[in-house]
Amino acid sequence: MASNEEKPDFSDVEAGGSSTAPTAEPAEQTYTVASGDTLSKIAKKFYGDANKWRQIFDANRDIIKNPDLIYPGQTLKIPSA
Amino acid sequence: MRWHRITTLILMGSIALFACKKTPPPAPSSAPAETQTPAPAPAPEVIPFKVTSIQLGKAIGSDKTISEPATTFGPKDTIYASVASEGTAPSVTLKARWTYGAAGQLVSESQQTIAPTGPAATEFHVAKASGWPAGKYKVEISVDGSPAGAQDFEVKK
Repeated sequence: MASNEEKPDFSDVEAGGSSTAPTAEPAEQTYTVASGDTLSKIAKKFYGDANKWRQIFDANRDIIKNPDLIYPGQTLKIPSA
Repeated sequence: MRWHRITTLILMGSIALFACKKTPPPAPSSAPAETQTPAPAPAPEVIPFKVTSIQLGKAIGSDKTISEPATTFGPKDTIYASVASEGTAPSVTLKARWTYGAAGQLVSESQQTIAPTGPAATEFHVAKASGWPAGKYKVEISVDGSPAGAQDFEVKK
């Protein structure tokens, strides 16, 4: 019997980290879209400001045609704020 | 006869003068000691970067290691993964990929780019204000895209 159970929503997960090692300048920061994400939510997560979604959209115009349509598993470039 | 006496006196005086002459100090036995150049210290052994362990828990210390180990968590817990490593690298990217259930639904993915100079600890954490759904989870750690280890954990109501 197939399960009709809905997938949990993890879009409100807050993630972070730190290290005892010195930080190196990342070549490029990326983020993998999770179920329930929107550009505004991602902007809020990285910049603390949902209104900065356009920065992410502009950096990913090659893979995002419509800013209201992003898909789980897409890897987005996150420009520095 | 007088000339002979004078000659004898001169000769004796010369001998006496010669006898009193101090012996010059000996020449330095050798050139100044050569400056000893210390042997160059052996170059420190370069240990390539590698992950040595991954630990899970509910809290970390200031040294980024787990202070409260756990593999079972409550819905409101913050879940920490501490990645111990050794070796050096000018730049290495550690990525933590958190997934849920057998299907591996993506929970979160984050990364840190570090320049380790020796043993280090790097922590990743996730929290969910609305509470974690009960079930089985996994965190996978990769180094520059190559798998470096994984840990399973569970959330119980």
